[in-house]
Amino acid sequence: MATQQDEGGFPLSISHNLRQFRLLELPPDLLELIDSPHPPSLSIKAQAPSAAAATPTAKPAYAVLCTPTRTYQLRQVQTSNSVYITQPDPKRSSQAGISAIASCSATLEPHPVISSAVDFLKDVLPVYDIIDGDVDAAGNGKNRQRIFVDIPLSDGECQTAWTELIAFEFAGSSYRPSANTLFQVWKAVHSAVQVEGIKLDSQFLTDEILTSIESEGFPSSLVSALFQRLGDEKDSKGPWSCLNRQRTVQFVGQTLLEQKTGDHYLVAQFLDLWRDSLPEAWREEAELETIKGSFHFPSSTTIAFGGDAAVASAASEKDTPKAGSSSRKWHEKLGRARQKK
Amino acid sequence: MPQIPLRTPSYPTPPSNPLPHLLHTPSGLALLELQATIHFPSSSNSSSFVCEDKTEVGKLVFPLYNPALYGDDDTKWMKRVYFYVGKYQRLTGEVRKLGRPFAVVRRKETDTVMGEEREDVEMGDVVESIEGRDNGGEGEELEIVEVVRYKIVFSSRPEPVGGEKEEV
Repeated sequence: MATQQDEGGFPLSISHNLRQFRLLELPPDLLELIDSPHPPSLSIKAQAPSAAAATPTAKPAYAVLCTPTRTYQLRQVQTSNSVYITQPDPKRSSQAGISAIASCSATLEPHPVISSAVDFLKDVLPVYDIIDGDVDAAGNGKNRQRIFVDIPLSDGECQTAWTELIAFEFAGSSYRPSANTLFQVWKAVHSAVQVEGIKLDSQFLTDEILTSIESEGFPSSLVSALFQRLGDEKDSKGPWSCLNRQRTVQFVGQTLLEQKTGDHYLVAQFLDLWRDSLPEAWREEAELETIKGSFHFPSSTTIAFGGDAAVASAASEKDTPKAGSSSRKWHEKLGRARQKK
Repeated sequence: MPQIPLRTPSYPTPPSNPLPHLLHTPSGLALLELQATIHFPSSSNSSSFVCEDKTEVGKLVFPLYNPALYGDDDTKWMKRVYFYVGKYQRLTGEVRKLGRPFAVVRRKETDTVMGEEREDVEMGDVVESIEGRDNGGEGEELEIVEVVRYKIVFSSRPEPVGGEKEEV
């Protein structure tokens, strides 16, 4: 039947200057973003080569696609087929056809990455420490935006981690404060609050506290960063701050524990110090339950800051016997599963 | 420069498009996939087919496409596409809807550098171009020029067709 060239056909040409385009596969959520009337800005990032990247063991940098709040790792998939991008020929007097103007030898597959920027930021931000009143910090000469550019995650995720770490810009560099520094700042805030009679969990003027602790020599950006980390989003606007009571109590307890060097606290001694570092009305909320997961007991009477690793290993030790006992009762599990059906 | 903006599409007016309407995109770009390699003369003097800066390699036919007869909603025509290469070979293919549409991404043409020299390095390898921070990656931008939802695929071998039946 149709062995002859049917009517309705049109010529296909191939350009001599085939360009290289890439095809980016669009999962539904990305497609929706791009199709929206006002598409957000997207970018492709890669982790900056660090000094360690020069060593042969370093992982190769990979490219990621970032929306304002999400990150996708880009996997390049080669195809053995010839893939062309065609476009209609400009109108000519004769029959109009289409021309291949570009070839695509590879497609890019985005895979969502769920990751925290905290570790990346910890790696690149110098620590801002204050020892006996002297600042110990080596600036990196990079502002926040410059730091984010080198982190293979979206700006939204970077900002979350930045706030979490109470990172701040000061004198052209970016820093993250040590627990020691944070606790000193908190103590200054705490005494200023007592003098001024400010209630931290209702709206107060950020500047009021900044001015009264100015003489202590803390960068005001650090104090603001602290308020942002502890603040209630809905009430902290413009010149106003308002601290979230629960988050603040938790922060003070954790920081107090973390900044302790040398001997461990006695549990009772720690609780007293913690309560003394809080506004009078908040004292009762300083309970170990509030900072669950951030501490461990080196002995029956002492308490120490437990890093994530310590906590994780403690948790896994706890879980192991449980897992063992449940695996022995697999037939019960199966029975339960069957009953559900 | 480890961060490169990826611009979303802004469409110019496309030229009139001979493809079936379903395959039309705002910019006119379409996707064509062949399980084959097209060899064609690269020098503009060596073939009489050559016109301007491209070579005509064949003819695309959608034999079942007839919206006047079957209506705009008909999709049966998608099952058959012919691609006649030269006079004696024919590829049979089909139009497929992509499970996941593709964004066509290219390096954004800058105002200062246009033309063929720029095209030589066009889009290279996304990863490489990101890592190649030394060669003036500053200000580099990528753009999504189109989102394509269908492709024309020729996945079978070419079959011979009789030259005598062809229209001249």
